[in-house]
Amino acid sequence: MSLPSVNTSIGEHLAINVTVNGEARALNVDPRRSLADVIREDVGLTGTHLGCEHGVCGACTVLLDGEPSRACLMLAVQADGTEITTIEGLADADGTMHPIQQAMHEAMSFQCAFCSPGFLMSTVALLRDNPNPSEAEIREELSGNLCRCTGYQSIVDGVETAVTLMGENA
Amino acid sequence: MTDTQDRQTSGLGFVGQRVKRVEDERFLIGAGEFVADLNPDGVLHTVFVRSPFPHATINSIDVSAARTHPGVHRVFTAAEINAVTNQFVPFFTEVGAYSPLYDVLSEDRVRHIGDPVAMVIAESRYIAEDAAELVEIDYEELEATGTIDQALQPGRQQVWDRADGNILADLDSEAGDVDAVFAAADRVITQTLDCPRQANQPMETRGSVVLIDDDGHLTIHSTSQAPHFLKWAVAGMLVDDGGFKNLGRFLRNSSRRKNFNAARKTFMAKNKSKLKERDMNVGKTQISKDKSFLRQQMRMGMGLLAAEDYPTVKAGDIGGAFGSKGPVAREDIALAAAAKLMGRSVQWIEDRVENLLDGGQAREERFTISIAVDDDGTLKGLKVDAVLDHGAYAGFPISPVVTPLLWKLYMPGAYDFKAFGLNAKVVATNKGKVVPYRGPWANETWMRERMLDIVAAELGMSPFELRQKNVIRADQLPRPMITGPDMDETMSVAKTLDRAIEMIDFDQLEKDKAAAEARGHRLGIGIASYHEAAPGPPNFFKSAQAGSDMFLHEDGRAEIAADGTITMFTSQSPHGQSHQTTYTQVAADEFGVAMEDVNIVWGDTDRTQFSFLGTGGSRGGPLGAGVMRMTARELRDQVAAVAADMLEASKDDIEIIAGNIHVAGVPSKGITYKDVAAKVAAEQGVTDQTATVFSENMEYEGVGNGGWSVATHVAVVDIDLETGMVEIPRYLVVEDCGPIINPGIVDGQVRGGVAQGIGAVFYEKLAYDENANLQSTTYMDYLIPTAMEIPSIEIEHMETLTAGENDARGVGEGGMIGAPAALTNAVSDALGVQVTEQYLPPYRLLELAGVIEPS
Repeated sequence: MSLPSVNTSIGEHLAINVTVNGEARALNVDPRRSLADVIREDVGLTGTHLGCEHGVCGACTVLLDGEPSRACLMLAVQADGTEITTIEGLADADGTMHPIQQAMHEAMSFQCAFCSPGFLMSTVALLRDNPNPSEAEIREELSGNLCRCTGYQSIVDGVETAVTLMGENA
Repeated sequence: MTDTQDRQTSGLGFVGQRVKRVEDERFLIGAGEFVADLNPDGVLHTVFVRSPFPHATINSIDVSAARTHPGVHRVFTAAEINAVTNQFVPFFTEVGAYSPLYDVLSEDRVRHIGDPVAMVIAESRYIAEDAAELVEIDYEELEATGTIDQALQPGRQQVWDRADGNILADLDSEAGDVDAVFAAADRVITQTLDCPRQANQPMETRGSVVLIDDDGHLTIHSTSQAPHFLKWAVAGMLVDDGGFKNLGRFLRNSSRRKNFNAARKTFMAKNKSKLKERDMNVGKTQISKDKSFLRQQMRMGMGLLAAEDYPTVKAGDIGGAFGSKGPVAREDIALAAAAKLMGRSVQWIEDRVENLLDGGQAREERFTISIAVDDDGTLKGLKVDAVLDHGAYAGFPISPVVTPLLWKLYMPGAYDFKAFGLNAKVVATNKGKVVPYRGPWANETWMRERMLDIVAAELGMSPFELRQKNVIRADQLPRPMITGPDMDETMSVAKTLDRAIEMIDFDQLEKDKAAAEARGHRLGIGIASYHEAAPGPPNFFKSAQAGSDMFLHEDGRAEIAADGTITMFTSQSPHGQSHQTTYTQVAADEFGVAMEDVNIVWGDTDRTQFSFLGTGGSRGGPLGAGVMRMTARELRDQVAAVAADMLEASKDDIEIIAGNIHVAGVPSKGITYKDVAAKVAAEQGVTDQTATVFSENMEYEGVGNGGWSVATHVAVVDIDLETGMVEIPRYLVVEDCGPIINPGIVDGQVRGGVAQGIGAVFYEKLAYDENANLQSTTYMDYLIPTAMEIPSIEIEHMETLTAGENDARGVGEGGMIGAPAALTNAVSDALGVQVTEQYLPPYRLLELAGVIEPS
């Protein structure tokens, strides 16, 4: 489905190939569009959120070839050839939540949850690189994501719960 | 804890448990539906053209280049939008107050940076942004007012021509004999305290998607905290002809007339005494300043009467608000007008810069406080001169007078002052609008609790002792506050204060202070207490203004469908408070069913009952959950009556556990809600399985004569004298919000509020220069604290219960009310100076510590 918002200029579009949550996508995008807008509008995955659109709040964080990246600061054309993971790509195909999602549920990590996609994606990268982080390391790693509701303690608890859950599953 | 509760829970007992959130099942997999996620086919995108000047007249506007830009559908100037809309009129007025009327978009004068003057509607936001750059506007700058001092100067350029200079309200109130009490006291201590401008800053900005169907009916998907109020505002402001034509239309429409008369009769009967109490003088100052008030009000009223079709408003998932999404935005009305004019669906998603410019600002206030006190530390009198910097436009429906009216009640706090006097001024400046922000009155707590420490220091007394000596204790209750509102045992500040002090290890603290000093740091402790009406006693709002409590009941509905499905309808508009979870807990307990068997409907004005406030004022727990409980209980009893017939038993013997409806003691011979609903459906000849067979509507105003939510906060701060950076090694909240529905959710609310208080004191400031230019328009300049700055927060619950049925009491605002006072008191203790401002960034801490010269 092509939404009207996809037609953002009368200029030339560029073809890009990306893999989004394991699925190959051939997209034809206006070179000036952000990766976040293309993920949300062209691919239709609205779980990635836009909070500030200037790279501070981190709600738009996705994994780009495994690395947490601000989708609002990148042009979609820069993502050509990459593998993108969004919040929608975390659960199993049968709907079973990823251990980090389960842990955040258990810890009652979020309130309005608008920031949650960014925290989840940052946590995926954090626990992959450092499966047993200290509280200080968790706080430092997550300091690139803003939450206005919770005071962060429940999110830190969620990461710690995830460490336990993932340790049990390993 | 008194143990006099009657019936807190029933059935499975979800209430009181740390039940995991229902909402998270969609949020955590990215399946939430926030307004920007809807992006429906065919919707056009809007960008507002905004003033780059704080104060200017508009000589001309040329939109021709923007109109012909490829991909642009329409460009509306302010004149075009204002021609089809009414002005915003003040909703609350008070003697001594004038609230400016203003247009939907600004046509010939702009009053703050970001003031909307035109709207560009295009295929995409990208194209609309391009075209907005092409709009040519000839501005002529006027003198701008950027500070409270400037606003109080006579003879300056006025923000609003009809005001007294830049003063919008000048209100006096007095309780007790202030002069006599001050004259008799051993001493009077006076200090001026300042708080800068802060912003609510939810992670999701504001936004609306306005859909129009073939008949011209509008469906507005919005981030509104108060969808019903938005619906009425849009209906009342999109009036296409004058009042009397509308009157004619109304008189000719018999069904409309009949409905109106019936509604009027019900309303009058229900509110007879409240209507009588109203002071008819409240509008006097307003009318004397601006007679168009009456005409505009009439125009809107007549429009509402005549309108055949009100819009439908739907608020889905909302990404936080903290008060900022309660007021109806000028953009909301402009969008609805544009959709009508074009016959096209349009949307606007605010960006962060816009949100910082005018998405809601708060708390820029100055207080000169005098406390009359005896040498033994007995507090005698409190006198306050307060000034609130209101910005340019009044938030709608919250007028300039609402905060002062609440200050008038709250300022003496839980202490036994014998007299209290307040002069509160509200001034207009060329800044973004003030909106309610999590405890809109909260600076009364900051200024009082900061001042108590100043008094204690002057008397050579400990701030802990001063508070314990003067706090109103349980054996002095019930009694009214000196300012009017009743207090029962739920005003339990003394209990939280004593407990908090008990939880401080003073010997260890002294050691920690010495250790900090040895490291080149300074460590200090601060304490602060408050009580807030959540929802407060029945006479709370009438103490603020007689008759002002008319629209403050909370409505709810419970329904059971023919297939046994249970659905609860709330008029609240949740945006992070986890209503879906807590209301499900409450209803599931009453019905005696599993949580998955209860559905909660919110946010849709076609399906829920009218609510003036929606979610706000810490009412979702006490009143919102209260009406869920009462309607569910009533419906459960109706079901039990039918079941009693079916089971050939007495209704009183019916027990419902885990959805099994049975005679007590005989669970093996049980039936289900489905069985009962099917029987009633069959009797009524209902075949549609989704049709409603049981239904109960209620209005609810809470129970008892208290309804106070209270807390005492204790903060310990550690300041690095080299960098000015602050750590918070301990933050303790001892809170009492009565019976807790879900401790996980209550803890989250408390911590989130404290985090905003920490932000306010150490990181966040909307920095306007003295010409009212905003300097902090990004998150690089307006610093929201991260996980590095917010410590773990310790919470101790007290849960005071009253006799009979108990409502939960609200807890959403309190964290933010207590934190700035506890933190600034701790900084004062650490540095050995009396802090007189709320905002203390590193450079300021170093100045106060004498490390660097004051700038």
